[in-house]
Amino acid sequence: MAAKKKRSPNVDNDSWVTIAADSVVDAQKNDSDPTFVRLRNPSTGAASLYVLGSGDLQLYEVKAFEEDFHSWFIGQTVQRDGRLVFITPMDPLFLIVPCLSKSAKEGTFQPLDQVVMDEEFSACSRLLKCKSALASLHHIAEEKEVETLKFYRFSQDKTIDWLKKKVERTVTVLKKREICVGEGVKSTTYVRVKPAADHQEEDYLRYAHGLISEYISQDLSTALLKHLGLPQLMSPKETEPPAKKRKISEQPVEAVEDYTKFNGADFSRKPLKKMTAAQKTLAKVDKTGMKSMSSFFSPKVKAEKK
Amino acid sequence: MSSNATVTRLCASSVDHTQRAPVHLMPCEIQSNGSAQVSQFFTATTKDHKSEKTVSFRGRGLKGQELSCPQGYTGLVLKEVHKPSSDQEDRTVRVSSVFDKLTYWNLETPPNSDDTVVMAMDWPELAEGVRVLAFILLH
Repeated sequence: MAAKKKRSPNVDNDSWVTIAADSVVDAQKNDSDPTFVRLRNPSTGAASLYVLGSGDLQLYEVKAFEEDFHSWFIGQTVQRDGRLVFITPMDPLFLIVPCLSKSAKEGTFQPLDQVVMDEEFSACSRLLKCKSALASLHHIAEEKEVETLKFYRFSQDKTIDWLKKKVERTVTVLKKREICVGEGVKSTTYVRVKPAADHQEEDYLRYAHGLISEYISQDLSTALLKHLGLPQLMSPKETEPPAKKRKISEQPVEAVEDYTKFNGADFSRKPLKKMTAAQKTLAKVDKTGMKSMSSFFSPKVKAEKK
Repeated sequence: MSSNATVTRLCASSVDHTQRAPVHLMPCEIQSNGSAQVSQFFTATTKDHKSEKTVSFRGRGLKGQELSCPQGYTGLVLKEVHKPSSDQEDRTVRVSSVFDKLTYWNLETPPNSDDTVVMAMDWPELAEGVRVLAFILLH
């Protein structure tokens, strides 16, 4: 591929191609329109774009699918920005978990409206209008009722159980959609030729765990992995065979057993820029698929060197 | 970047009287926004062979395929009519056109199920899987 041309920044963009759940625009029983709001992303802690549906009853996440060098023709117009934006329903509990767990350190039961708020993101308190959130709070917190008032205390155990059910549910969808989750995930055609691998079930679990991890903190992600009975993978395993440029010979001999060294900078694979969220997760899972490769090859090098 | 407190209203009533427009995802960056004679110079020259479409665009052979929106989803092109004068202002977008399917084009390579945009269409159902549990347990 030729070197990328310098492109002028695309600043005057005023149009977006989206694929949105029908309910985003269907729900016109309420007078209010759906709104795009910025809320704290539970995984990154940074601002992300969400949509609160009509009357704030439903939360949607906004994810852009982006490939380099793409543009749209829409009717008789050109749109330079080639992104495709997905607006999909999202469980508001994912955004409430960080609020509750932050206040959990105090260990007291608190009323929701004191907890579900964020000075930086004023729309945060609107999450309390999402009916599904209020009805399912017991999945992530202990409840206490004093007279007519309800108080909540974050429960990590409950939350992990709830997340585990999400993982199981996601595995079901993955299987139903026949989405390939193993090492050959980059090419569906390739995978179909392969016999079903023994590790497929684990591949599904890891893939689903990766997906869910985009909605939770790193700590919860690690705890969930443990709860699922999946060991944390330390070595970098990539889809491709160990690249020649790794120059194993440059590594000191003792590096062979020390997999943590593989986490070094030259092993971190640059993710492709324009992957979808699902693919990003795929890539994550991918890396873990090649355990045997590096362990097979490394000792041989050691032997040769001696 | 605008302030975290501002919101962008999606004028949902605009969807009812919006016309459908053919939508093409082109495998090149066109450094322009605005009107173009798409139907005259592009759509008019596309050819259908079975499910695959071909067209010559600026001397390059493109191969394309139609892709439907996932079930329960609609394609909406959102357009901001009035640019805000400051980043403290709330904004409004309207639905400028609607689509049920789009045509995506590859440069030379025939469309196949490994095309990233095809895989991207799996996202809504996956997202649904991630979300839906709350309702299953409730009912």
